Amino acid sequence: MPKLPRIAPLIALLAAIAVLVAGLVMIAYEERAYAVQKTDEATVQARILASTVAAAVFFGDREAAQEYVEATRANPEAQAVAIYDAQGRLFVGYSRDGAEPLSVSLDTARPTRDAGALRVLTQITQADTFLGTVYLQAGIEPISRRLQRYGAVGMLVGMAALVFLVLGLTQRTLARQAASLAAANEELRKQILQREQVEAALRQAQKMEAIGQLTGGVAHDFNNILHVIIGNVESMQRRIAGNDIRRSDAAFVRLTEAALRAAERAATLTSQLLAFSRRQPLAPKALEVNRLVAGMSDLLRRTLGETIGIETVLAGGLWRISADPNQLESALLNLAVNARDAMPGGGKLTIETANAHIDETYARSEQDVSAGQYVMIAVTDAGTGMSKDVMAQAFDPFFTTKEVGRGTGLGLSQVYGFVKQSGGHVRIYSEPGEGTSVKLYLPRLASEPTSEEEARAAQPAPGGEELILVVEDSEDVRANTVSMLRELGYGVIEAADGTEALRQLQAQPRIRLLFTDVGLPGMNGRELADEARRRRPELSVLFTTGYARNAIVHNGKLDPGVELIAKPFSFPVLAAKLREVLERVPS
Amino acid sequence: MGRLAHRRSGKAAVILLGSLFGLLCGAPAARAQDTAVEYAVKATYLYKFVPFVQWPAAAFAAPDSPVILCVVGGGGFSEVLARAVSGETIEGRPVLSRSLPAVAADSGCHVLYTAGSATQSVAQGLAAVQGRPVLTVTESLPAAGAKGIVNFVLADNRVRFEIDNQAAAENGLLISSKLLSLAVAVKPRS
Repeated sequence: MPKLPRIAPLIALLAAIAVLVAGLVMIAYEERAYAVQKTDEATVQARILASTVAAAVFFGDREAAQEYVEATRANPEAQAVAIYDAQGRLFVGYSRDGAEPLSVSLDTARPTRDAGALRVLTQITQADTFLGTVYLQAGIEPISRRLQRYGAVGMLVGMAALVFLVLGLTQRTLARQAASLAAANEELRKQILQREQVEAALRQAQKMEAIGQLTGGVAHDFNNILHVIIGNVESMQRRIAGNDIRRSDAAFVRLTEAALRAAERAATLTSQLLAFSRRQPLAPKALEVNRLVAGMSDLLRRTLGETIGIETVLAGGLWRISADPNQLESALLNLAVNARDAMPGGGKLTIETANAHIDETYARSEQDVSAGQYVMIAVTDAGTGMSKDVMAQAFDPFFTTKEVGRGTGLGLSQVYGFVKQSGGHVRIYSEPGEGTSVKLYLPRLASEPTSEEEARAAQPAPGGEELILVVEDSEDVRANTVSMLRELGYGVIEAADGTEALRQLQAQPRIRLLFTDVGLPGMNGRELADEARRRRPELSVLFTTGYARNAIVHNGKLDPGVELIAKPFSFPVLAAKLREVLERVPS
Repeated sequence: MGRLAHRRSGKAAVILLGSLFGLLCGAPAARAQDTAVEYAVKATYLYKFVPFVQWPAAAFAAPDSPVILCVVGGGGFSEVLARAVSGETIEGRPVLSRSLPAVAADSGCHVLYTAGSATQSVAQGLAAVQGRPVLTVTESLPAAGAKGIVNFVLADNRVRFEIDNQAAAENGLLISSKLLSLAVAVKPRS
C-alpha cells in the first residue's frame, strides 16, 4: 500500500482543524468588524445630532432640541439619546423602555461598550465654542443573536470539517477494505488453483475409468475366445503326445506350439488389459515384499541385460502387504523393462522398499487415494526421463514412447490397474534427462502372517475321478472345459444355467464339486453356489471368470473362502486347482 | 411683512426659557421686572448669534481682533450687555460692547443693536450700516416699521427672533442654517 492512505486520516484531521480555526478567526474578525461598524454608526449619528442641535442648545431651546433628539427615535438601535449643556447638566433626552435611565449629569455617562449596549459621547461645538455634549446609547445585538448569525458560517465550517473527517475515515476504511479484498482475492485464487488441480485429477480418473470399461469389455470377450483356442490347441498337443496323430509329423507339432505361444501372448495382453481396467481377478496373499523382490533378482538380471546394474535398498522391518504376487511381479517387471528402455547405454536400476504413511492432507489432494499405512516400492532409473505431457499420459493404455513394435503401451497400464485394484497408489516422478522414479504404495496388511501359503508348491496335479458339475453359458467354453476335465479323468455333468444346474445337483447326489462361471444369465454363479451350498453343505465350489466385475469379487479381491480360477486357464493350472479345492474340507 | 414667511417648523418655535431667570408668567404688574428679564435674554442672544454668523474676512483686521457689539439707544440695555459679554471670547476673539449715540458706516461694529436714540432713529441707524458687514438687530412689534437682519419679537411672552436672510446677504453676511432653523420666521434670500 502506498503511504498516502495511511496518513490520509491525519491530513483530513489537520484540514478539519484548519477549517475550524479559519472559521473561528472569521467569526472573531466579523465580531470585531461588527463592533467597529456599530461604534462608527453611533458616532456618526451623534455627530449629526451634535451639529444640528448646536443652536438649540446654545440658545437654550429645549423644545427644539427635544425635537431634534426625538428625531433619532427613527433609528431603532438608538436606545437612549441625551444632550448635556456646556456645564454638563442634562438638557434634553429620552430613554426607551427597557434601556437604562439617563443620568442627570454628564459625569456618570461614560463612553463604554458592553454586551447589550454601546455608548458614545460627542461634543457640540460651533465655531470652536464648546456648547455641550451629545450622549447616544445604541443597542447592539445580543451575543446570542450574533452567534445565531454566525451560526450559518459556523454550520458551513462544521460541515466542511465533518466532510474532511468523513473523507479521512472513509479513506482509511477503504484502505482496510482494499487490503481485506486483496486477501480474499488471493484466497479465492488459491482455491481456484486447488479446484483446478482436483478437477484435473478427477478428469484423469474419469478417463482411466472410461478406458478401463472399454478395454475390460474387449478383454473379456477376447478371453473367452482365447480360452477356446488355447484349450483346443492344448488338446491337439495332448493327442500328439498320446500318439493319436502320427508322431513323425514334426511340422504339425511346431505349428501347434507356435499357435499356442501366440495364443498365450494374446492371453497375457488381455490379462494386462484386465489389470489396467482393474477387473482382473486378483488372488491376494500376505506378502513380504523384500522376499518377493529378492526372489525376482535372477529374472530381473536376465531381463535387463548386462549393461544395467541392479541395486536394491530394502528396508528392515518392512510391513507385510496383501497383494497378488504374480501381478506384483508383473508390475515390477514392467517397470524394470521401461527402465531398461530408458537407459539404452546402460545404467543403474534401483529398487527401494520402505514403510510409508500417506496423511490426510496428501490424500485429499489426490484423486482416489486414502490416508493410511503403506509399503512403498520405488523403481528408479537414471534414464532419459519424461516430460510433463508424457507423464500425464503414461498410464494410458496403448500410450507408448517406444518405437512401433517394441512396446505394447500396456506396461504402466498394468501397473496402474494392479495398484489401484489392490487399494494402493502409484506416482511417477521424472525429470527429462535425469531419470524416472515410479513409486508404488500398497496398503499394509493388518493381520498376522499365516504360514500356510508359503509351503504351497506347484506339484504336478494328477487328475481324479470325482463327479464334477460344470455350469457355463458359453457352449464353446463349456465344451472345452468338459473335454479338459474328462482328460483328467473326472466324471462331468453339464449345465447351461443355474436352474438346470440345481436340477442336476438334485438328480445326482454323487456330484462333489460345482465348477461354475460367475457370469450366468438369470441366477449368477454366486447365487447358484449359495443355493447349492444350502442344499449340499459339503459341496465344493470353484468359480471361474474372465471378468471379475461381479458378485464374488469386491474391490478386486476375493471374498474369504471363495476359490476362483481365472480364464483363460491352462490345463495344468486347472488340474492343480481342482485337486486343491477337492481336498480341502468344505467349511 | 408679506414676504416674511412664518415658520412653524419644530425648531421655529423659539421659546425663551424664562427658567433661566424665573418665570414669565405674564403678570402686567411686573412690567419693569419683565423688561429686565428681556434685556438679559436679549443680551445673551446678541453675542450668541456671533458663532452662527460668518463675516467677510475684511471685517476683521487680525485673527484675534475683537468682535464689537454696538448698542444704539435701548435705555439700560447696553449696561446689561456689557456685563453679559465681559470676558467672553468667541473663536479666540474677545467680545466687546460699545454704546453709541449714533452709528456710522465706519464705526467698526460687527453687531449693531439699535432701538433708536435721540440722535438717530432705528431706520437711520440701519441705513447708516446698509451694505456694511454688520449684523443688525432690532426689536419691534410685529407689523411695526424698520427691522434689522435679526428682529426680536415677543410671542407668547417669550423672546423670539425673525431673520431677514436677504438683508444679511446684502450686508455680506452668511448666517448658519442652524440659526435659521431656530428663527420664528425667515425671509429667504431672493
